[in-house]
Amino acid sequence: MPVKPAPFDYHCPGDLAEAIAILQQYGDEAKVLAGGQSLIPLLSLRLSRFDHLVDLQAIEGLRGVTVVDSSIRVGAMTTQAGVARSNDAAAVPLLTKATCHIGHYQIRNRGTLGGSLAHADPAAEYPAAALALDASLEIAGANGSRRIPAADFFVSMWVTAMEPDEVLVAAHFPIWSGRCGWAVAEVARRAGDFAMCGAVCGIQLDGQRVSRAALALFGVDSVPVRARVIESELADAVVDDLDLPAIGAAVAAKLDPPGDLHASPAQRRRMAKALVPRVLAAAINEAKHA
Amino acid sequence: MREMALTLTVNGERFSRTVEVRRTLADFLRDDLCLTGTHLGCEHGVCGACTVLLDGDAVRSCLMFAVQADGAEVTTIEGLSKRDGGLTPIQAAFQAEHGLQCGYCTPGFVVSAHAFLAEHPNPSDEEIREALSGNLCRCTGYQGIIAAVKRAANTGVSS
Amino acid sequence: MTAGRFMGQAIARTEDPRLLTGRGRYIADVVVPGASDAAFLRSEVARGTIVGLDTEAARSAPGVRAVFTAADLNPRVHETSLAGLLEAPYPPKYCLAEKDVRFVGDPIAIVVAENRYLAEDAVELIEVDIDPQVPVLDVDAARDRDSDLVHPEVGTNTPMVIPLFDDPELEAAFAQAAHLVRDTVTMHRYVQVPMECRGIIADWNPHDKQLTVWSSTQSVHGVQAFLAGLLGIGTNQIRVLQPDVGGGFGQKTMLMRDEWAVVLAATLLGRPVRWIEDRRENLVAAAHARDEKMDLSMALDGDGTITAIRGEHIENIGAYQTMGSMGSGALVAPFLSNAYKVPKVGYANQAVYTNTCGKAPYRGPFLMYAVGIEQLMDTAARQIGIDPLELRRRNVIRTQDLPYTLPSTLCMDAITPAETLDQAASMIDYDGFRAEQAVARKQGRYLGIGIGLCVEPSAIAFGGLATEAAVVRMDHSGKVTVLLGSSSTGMSVTTTMKQVVAEHLGCAPEDISIVQGDTAATGYGAGTMGSRSAVLYGNAVAAASIELRSKLLDIAADALEAAVEDLDIDDGRVFVRGTATKGMKFAELGQLAYMGHDMLAPGMRPGLEAFHRYKAPPFTFSNACHICTCEVDVDTGRVTILRYVVSEDCGRMINPKVVEGQIFGGVVQGLGGVLYEHMIYDDDGNPLTSTFVDYLLPTACEVPTIEVGHIESPAANPLGVKGMGEGGAIASPAAVVNAVADALTPFGVTVSGSPLGPKQILDMIATAGH
Repeated sequence: MPVKPAPFDYHCPGDLAEAIAILQQYGDEAKVLAGGQSLIPLLSLRLSRFDHLVDLQAIEGLRGVTVVDSSIRVGAMTTQAGVARSNDAAAVPLLTKATCHIGHYQIRNRGTLGGSLAHADPAAEYPAAALALDASLEIAGANGSRRIPAADFFVSMWVTAMEPDEVLVAAHFPIWSGRCGWAVAEVARRAGDFAMCGAVCGIQLDGQRVSRAALALFGVDSVPVRARVIESELADAVVDDLDLPAIGAAVAAKLDPPGDLHASPAQRRRMAKALVPRVLAAAINEAKHA
Repeated sequence: MREMALTLTVNGERFSRTVEVRRTLADFLRDDLCLTGTHLGCEHGVCGACTVLLDGDAVRSCLMFAVQADGAEVTTIEGLSKRDGGLTPIQAAFQAEHGLQCGYCTPGFVVSAHAFLAEHPNPSDEEIREALSGNLCRCTGYQGIIAAVKRAANTGVSS
Repeated sequence: MTAGRFMGQAIARTEDPRLLTGRGRYIADVVVPGASDAAFLRSEVARGTIVGLDTEAARSAPGVRAVFTAADLNPRVHETSLAGLLEAPYPPKYCLAEKDVRFVGDPIAIVVAENRYLAEDAVELIEVDIDPQVPVLDVDAARDRDSDLVHPEVGTNTPMVIPLFDDPELEAAFAQAAHLVRDTVTMHRYVQVPMECRGIIADWNPHDKQLTVWSSTQSVHGVQAFLAGLLGIGTNQIRVLQPDVGGGFGQKTMLMRDEWAVVLAATLLGRPVRWIEDRRENLVAAAHARDEKMDLSMALDGDGTITAIRGEHIENIGAYQTMGSMGSGALVAPFLSNAYKVPKVGYANQAVYTNTCGKAPYRGPFLMYAVGIEQLMDTAARQIGIDPLELRRRNVIRTQDLPYTLPSTLCMDAITPAETLDQAASMIDYDGFRAEQAVARKQGRYLGIGIGLCVEPSAIAFGGLATEAAVVRMDHSGKVTVLLGSSSTGMSVTTTMKQVVAEHLGCAPEDISIVQGDTAATGYGAGTMGSRSAVLYGNAVAAASIELRSKLLDIAADALEAAVEDLDIDDGRVFVRGTATKGMKFAELGQLAYMGHDMLAPGMRPGLEAFHRYKAPPFTFSNACHICTCEVDVDTGRVTILRYVVSEDCGRMINPKVVEGQIFGGVVQGLGGVLYEHMIYDDDGNPLTSTFVDYLLPTACEVPTIEVGHIESPAANPLGVKGMGEGGAIASPAAVVNAVADALTPFGVTVSGSPLGPKQILDMIATAGH
C-alpha cells in the first residue's frame, strides 16, 4: 500500500510560455503542480500518477492580489494564507471568510487559490465563492489568454473547462458596493474536513430591501451549485419579510446530492435546508450593521 | 529531470544535495540530513507529525517535494530547540502541562504551536483549539496540549 | 491519601526533554548499517484463490535485493505459539499467504530493496492473479453451520464458544421479574491507531547465529519468545530492543505475520531488513478491534433492583488474530455485572471469523462487559420511568457490600463505585443539568446526559502476565540503575518508577536511571498492556528498593556504629536521626560495598543489588464513573460534547498528572470511537476507510475539557496501587452513547450502540418519523 510517489520528471519553468509548452508536449502525462496540498497526497498514495510535473512556483507574476477596476485580481499561485492576509482581497469579504474554512493553517500556507479552483473539488469553498460572485477565470494557453466565467468553469467533479495544456493564471472577483453582508457555513465531520454540505452567501441591502443576493452551495453535487432562482426571488424583497426556513426548504428540494460514507443524499438535503437559513441570516445581519 | 541539485538552508546550515525529485521534504530531512525529529504519521497530509517551518510558515513536509524547497529556509524541531539542553518556553510549557506521552506527535505540535503563537500571541481558547486541529494526537486527548499552548501564551512567549 | 516526597507527586517527566526536542529515537530513526527496506504485496481481494504469482519483473527492478513469497518463507516457519497463552487455532502456522487470501491486506510477497521508494516501485511489478470468492463478512451468516469457512483447515468459523449454561435460578429470576429489559447493544469496528505505525528491523548474523531485532513493541520479551519459536532457535540467540515507541494501545503487543516475514527474510538474506509500516497498511492490515454485539437482558424487581442479567455476546474477530482467538469472553463473563449487585448472571459468547482484518487487543479489549450493561441501565431507567442516576444508585456496590463476591466467585474488595458515582454527579451538577435540559427542550434544543460507571479488572495477572521482576542496583558511586522487563510506549514507566524508587530508597529521581526494553539487560516480563505497569512494575521496584534500602542501612549501621533503627535516609544520605554530621552518602556506601568490602562486617555480602520478582493477584480492581453532557443538532446530526467529568479511583496514585493523562487519552479514544472513528467494509470486503481522510480521529476541536476527580482507596498490594490505563476507554463509549440517547428521548428513538456519526443520528431521527 504505497505512500511514496511513483517516479516522475520534474519541471520548474521560469515563465508561463515554457510551462505551456511543456504541457503541450506531454499532454495527459503532465500535471501542473501548484501548492501540492491536493495533488501530492494523490501521488504519494499512487491514486494518480503523471510522468511529468510542472511546478509553477518559479513563474513571476502569478502571486499577489491587486485591485483592477471594480474587481480584485488574485494571482493563481497566491496561497490561501496570502488571500486571508491581503488587504486588497479584503474588498471581497466572502473570500476571506471562505478561506478560514479551508483545511488547517498549515495547508493554507501552501495551498493556492488557483490550485483550489483548478482542482475543482465539489466540496471546496473557493469554487463556490467564485461561482456565487460570478468570478472570471483568466486562463493562458498555447493560443494566448482567455477568460472563462465561473458559471462555465466547473464542469464536473475534478473537471474544469480548461484544456490539458492551459494554466490558470488568475481569478477576478467583482467587488460589491453598498451595505453588504457575507457568510460562509458548512457542515463537516470535524474542523477542517471537507464539507458534507456548505453554503456561501452575499446580501446587499438598499434600505429595507435586498438589492442583490448571491447564494451557492458546495458538497451537494459534482460541482458547486448556484441558487439563482432563489436569488431572483430574494431580489427586491423586504428583508424582514423573508421566510428563511421556506427558502431553505426550497433550495434543498432542488438538490440532487450524492451519498457517501458520511451522509446520504436525503441527509445532505436536510443539512442544506438548515444551513441556508443560517447563512442567509448571518449575511443579512452583517449587512444591516454595515 | 528525475534528479535535481538542491540548495537550501536547514536550521541555519546550508546544504547542497542532489536528490530524486519525487523525494518528499520529510524524507529528505529525516534520511538525507539525519534530522529525525520530524516524524511520519500518515504521509498523506492529515496528521501533522511532519510539520516544519518553511520560510517561517508551518507546513506539512510530507506534502512537499524536497526540490520545492530549493532556495528556502527550513526550520525543524531541532532548529527550534536549544543546543545547551534547556527547553524553550513552549517546550517547558508542554512539560509542565503533561502535554506529551509517547512523544511521536510532539515535534509537530511544538513546531505548529511556535508558528501559531508567533502570529497570535493572545489567542482565545477557541482559537487555540482550532490552531491545534491540524495535528493529531492519540495519547493525551489534547488536554495537556491545549493547556500547554495556553500556558505559553499567558506567559507571553512565542518561542 | 497523603502524598510522599515523590509518590503521589506530579513531578515532571524525565522522558519529556528528549521527546520535546526531537531527540526521541523511534524505530524509523534507528540506523542499522546495510539495512534494506521492505514493502509488501498485499491482497486487494477479501477472499480468493491465488492462481498466479510472478515476481520475475520485481526481482530485476532497480535496487531490489530479494523478493520472497510463501514458497520461500513458509517452510522456514518452525512453530508459532505464544508463550504463556492458551493454544488456539491461531496464530496460523504459516507466514505469507500461500494458496489463498483471507482478507484485504493479506500479505502475499515481501520485496526487500535499497529503500522504500524502490521497494514500492517493485511491488507494483509483481503480477498476482487471484480468483475472487464471495467473502464471509456477516457474523450471523458466518456462524451458520452451512457457511463458507474463513479458515477451511480449522473446520469452523467459531473457534471459541462459551455456551449458555442451563441455570434454573437464572430462568426463574427472569420469569418472576417485575420488569424485563432487553436490547442488543452493538459496538462498531474501530481501531487502535497509534500515531506511530508498526516497525521492525531484523538482523541475523549467520556466523555467530545471533538475531538482533529492534521492534516498536509493547513487549520485548514477548517478541523474543515468539521469534525463538518461529525460527526454532534459542532465546539466548535473540536480543530484542525497543526504541522509543509512539503508542501501542494493544496493537503492538504481538508480532504479526508481516513482521514475521521481515525476520524470516533477514535470516534468508543474512543481512539486516527493515520494515516501517505505512498508515494505509496500519489502518487496513495491521489489526482491528471492537466490532461486537451483545444481546443483553435484565430482570428487575418492582423497586428497580436488578435480580439477574444475561448476555449473549458475538464478536467479529476477523481473519488473523494476534493473541489466541482474541475472543474476550473469558474476561467479559466474570464481570458482566460491572459495578452492580446482581445475584444471577448468565453469559454466552461466540468469537466468529470473517474475511476482514483480524483483531489485536485495544485498550480494554473486554470492554463490552461495561458497555453493554451501562447502556442497558439507561434503557431500563427509561422503560421503568426512573432517572438513570437513581437506578444506578439503587444497584451500585457500596462500601457495606464489600468484599463483594461475584457470581464467578472472584472477589472485589477495595472499590468505590458508589463514591465515584456521587462525586461525578456532583461535579457535573446532575440535577442542575436536568433543569437546563428541560429549558432547552422547550427552545427546540436537544441536550443529553450520559453515565458510564465501571469497575475495571486491571493488572490482569495470569500465567506469563502474573509476574514482573526488577533489579535495583546501586553502583560504587551511589547512583542507582533499575532494570525492568517493561516496554513503555508512552505511559511514563520511566518517570513513575523513578518516583517509586526515590520514595523507597531515599534518593533523588535524578540519581536513578531506568533500563527497560532490552531482553539482554532485563528479566522476563510480559510488557506494557492490560493496565499492569503500576501494579506489577511498581511493586517489583518497591520491593527491590526496600531490600536495597535494608542493605544500605545494614552497611551504614555498621560503619557508623549505630543501630539500624536510629538511621534515616534522605537525599541520598544515610544518617543518624537527630544528628547533622553522623552520616554517609550513598557514594561512600557504594565505595564501601564494592571496593572497601574488606571493611564490611563479617557475613555482610559485597555489592548493592536487589532483585525482586513480584507476583500479582489475578485481578486488581479499580473503578471510575464518567458522566458527559452533549447537544445534538437534529438538522445536521452533529454531536457536541459539552462537559465531560470523570471521578476515578485507582488506589494510591504514583503521579496524578500521569493518571489524568491516561484518563484523557482513553476518554478521547472512546469518544472518538463512538462519534467519529469507523472502520467500514463494503459488501465485497473492501475497507473503505483506509486513510486518515476517511478514518476520522478526533482533533482538539472535537474534545471537551475533561475534568477529573480523584478518590484513593488503596489496593491490597504493598504499594496500594491499581491499574487504570484502560478505564478511560472502557467507561467512555457508554457515557457518550447514553448522552446522545438521552438527548434524543423526545424523538422516541432507540439508541442501541455505536457508531453515532451524523449519518446514524439522522437515520434514527428519520426512522422515528421526524
